[in-house]
Amino acid sequence: MESALAGIRVIELGQDIAGGYCGKLLAGYGAEVITVEAPGGRGRIRAEGPFADEAAPGETGAMHLYLNTGKQSVTLDVESVSGTALLVRLLEHADAVVVDGPHPWLDDLGLDHDTRAELFPKLVTTLVSTFGQTGPYADYTSTNLTSFAAGGQMALTGEPDREPLKNGGYQAEYQAGLNAFTATLAGLWAADDTGDGDEIDIAAMEVMASTLEASLNTYCYLQRPALGGRRGNIMSSVIGIYPCADGYLGVHAMPRNWPALARLIEGDDLVTDERFYSQAARLQHEDELRATIYAWAGDKDKREVYAAAGKMRAPVAYVHDMADLYESPQLAARHYFHEVEHPLAGTLRYPGAPAGMSETPWQTTRAPLLGEHNGTVYKGLLGLSDADLSVLHGQGVI
Amino acid sequence: MDLSSELGRATFLKLVPKCDIVIENFRADVLDTLRLGYDELRKVRDDIILISMPGHGKDGPERDYVAYGTNVEQLAGLVSLSGYRDGPPQKSGISYGDPVAGTLAAGMAIAALIARKRTGKGQYIELSQREGLTSLIGEQVLGYDISKQLPERMGNRHPFYAPHGCYPAAGEDRWVTIACHNDDEFQVLCTLIDRTDLAVDERFATANARHANQDALDAEIATWTRTRSREEIFELLAESGVPAAPVWSADELYDNEHLRARGFFEPVWHRDAGAWEMERPLYRFTRRPTRIRMNAPAFAEHNDYVLRELIGLNADEVAQLEAQGVTARVPDMASHQ
Repeated sequence: MESALAGIRVIELGQDIAGGYCGKLLAGYGAEVITVEAPGGRGRIRAEGPFADEAAPGETGAMHLYLNTGKQSVTLDVESVSGTALLVRLLEHADAVVVDGPHPWLDDLGLDHDTRAELFPKLVTTLVSTFGQTGPYADYTSTNLTSFAAGGQMALTGEPDREPLKNGGYQAEYQAGLNAFTATLAGLWAADDTGDGDEIDIAAMEVMASTLEASLNTYCYLQRPALGGRRGNIMSSVIGIYPCADGYLGVHAMPRNWPALARLIEGDDLVTDERFYSQAARLQHEDELRATIYAWAGDKDKREVYAAAGKMRAPVAYVHDMADLYESPQLAARHYFHEVEHPLAGTLRYPGAPAGMSETPWQTTRAPLLGEHNGTVYKGLLGLSDADLSVLHGQGVI
Repeated sequence: MDLSSELGRATFLKLVPKCDIVIENFRADVLDTLRLGYDELRKVRDDIILISMPGHGKDGPERDYVAYGTNVEQLAGLVSLSGYRDGPPQKSGISYGDPVAGTLAAGMAIAALIARKRTGKGQYIELSQREGLTSLIGEQVLGYDISKQLPERMGNRHPFYAPHGCYPAAGEDRWVTIACHNDDEFQVLCTLIDRTDLAVDERFATANARHANQDALDAEIATWTRTRSREEIFELLAESGVPAAPVWSADELYDNEHLRARGFFEPVWHRDAGAWEMERPLYRFTRRPTRIRMNAPAFAEHNDYVLRELIGLNADEVAQLEAQGVTARVPDMASHQ
């Protein structure tokens, strides 16, 4: 079957998580994504383990194997003069470029905004960073942690009596990457319509500030804080995470779900218990209801509760760890994991499509070896000769 | 529009041919129960793009289970990774699954439009929210398949880098994050906090040593941060290339100098809400400036536009829909009690 983004060529620069995830999504849906890596593979994505083969860390780290699926890899020292020249030629052959990093990165190569617009009028350029391309913090360096703090999500995460907490993995960077994917497609759609490219500035800080639920909007509107600070694991008795015998249960009941939840916990008596029969009553007896749910959850088996809750349409799930994901009957039934073979990492089970497309489905193909596509790209696409390549190689440009 | 009534369904099917995309956020079984699934929509517009975004997907043994945003992140695996070092799995501060699914759905819609333009075909997009979110922790999942070790919850720390934490600043409940990803950044940090002794201390000389002796290192850094304001710390470190940022709350972001300088907030006027400011569209296109084009609509504000202009009903037909309770001009608040 054909791919959704067949015929679209994307250059990825920066080798970090946000741009890397954006590129992974574009590649999975069929774009030809060429990731430009430093000779020697010094990018962060290849550096982080665990490694499938400790003897080949640069090629078998989990982050590289995951984020670089479906891409082509070329090596290029873009900061050298002939490297910059090759980069310009690559961009001339591209429909879009995704650049991950703080403000002056491309400008330092002599490719500032005006030059880019003149050289590549049809190109869609997505610049993804923590603080964006303008403003007083534009040149600041950052990490996932500091970005998560700057964007406002961290102030809401964690327990009120402890320090603010980041959530798991690299969510500030992934959120920026997800938005870069959507924005790049919007840019490509518009460029295809008019023939004019565009530059898109995505700031992770703004991405997160826009997803603070009612907090930011309420403050904008009323000029007073909305929901306070860190919300803890139990926001209210019926929205929270409770320990059970073999793990943790997550309850999330809106008013209309109360009868189903009450039936799951205790049966019809609890549904009609006047302490809890309405939202206002539950709020008044918040402590008692928390105690009731704690006591109920304590000795329960997470899978049994989840199955019973599902049948009764009570919104109770259990916290899935990485092993639970691989053992999930739901994910197995839907063939979520894709087995992919890699010459150095072996066969592993990769998380598959973020979303299904009936006519142009997602494909998971293995991450490239460092510089694996130098020949295809430099010779096939740009028309360089073997002699050119060996000169560039000798100079350390590729 | 009450889609469960025969007249409501028929009216909706008259609207579909006027649309490129139908997007729905019901539980997995609802659209089929309404007889408005993809095959039904295709009968009235062959190249329609339908996007469904159920929690678990459209099939599988758990398809009909109820799942809200907080459940989605529990099912996706994210919550198991989040938490203080000695604590339970921790929920995100927001219903994290929701904005992730929405952003992904917007991208999928455009991907389907791009494909349709080339092939002439529409398609059905099925976005299982938990699967979409697992995609954002993919390296952790694959890492488990490699190592067979469950990742430890490590609070604000990092598996390899140190210092990497959230430190108390001067004032009540004020915090600042600092994270060094290499030796150079750490050396600069030591100079800035006037503790060059730390830079030559063998407990902190290498990334591995710093990681192993983090408790001691964090205590030293916190001693310095505790007496200074977040903004002072941020400016000093960030200006010198050491990653740092205050933990800002929503009300602080509203007055943030950087967001203000970037024009993040845009004044809007709303018939009922009056004048206020909202965050502007996230994606800043250079040649196609984005702005808020329309306010959130009032309830039923566009009934006439949709029913009369798009579908082409006459005034009697519109009145009949209303009289039969298929459409309404005022909301029924009963379901919110």
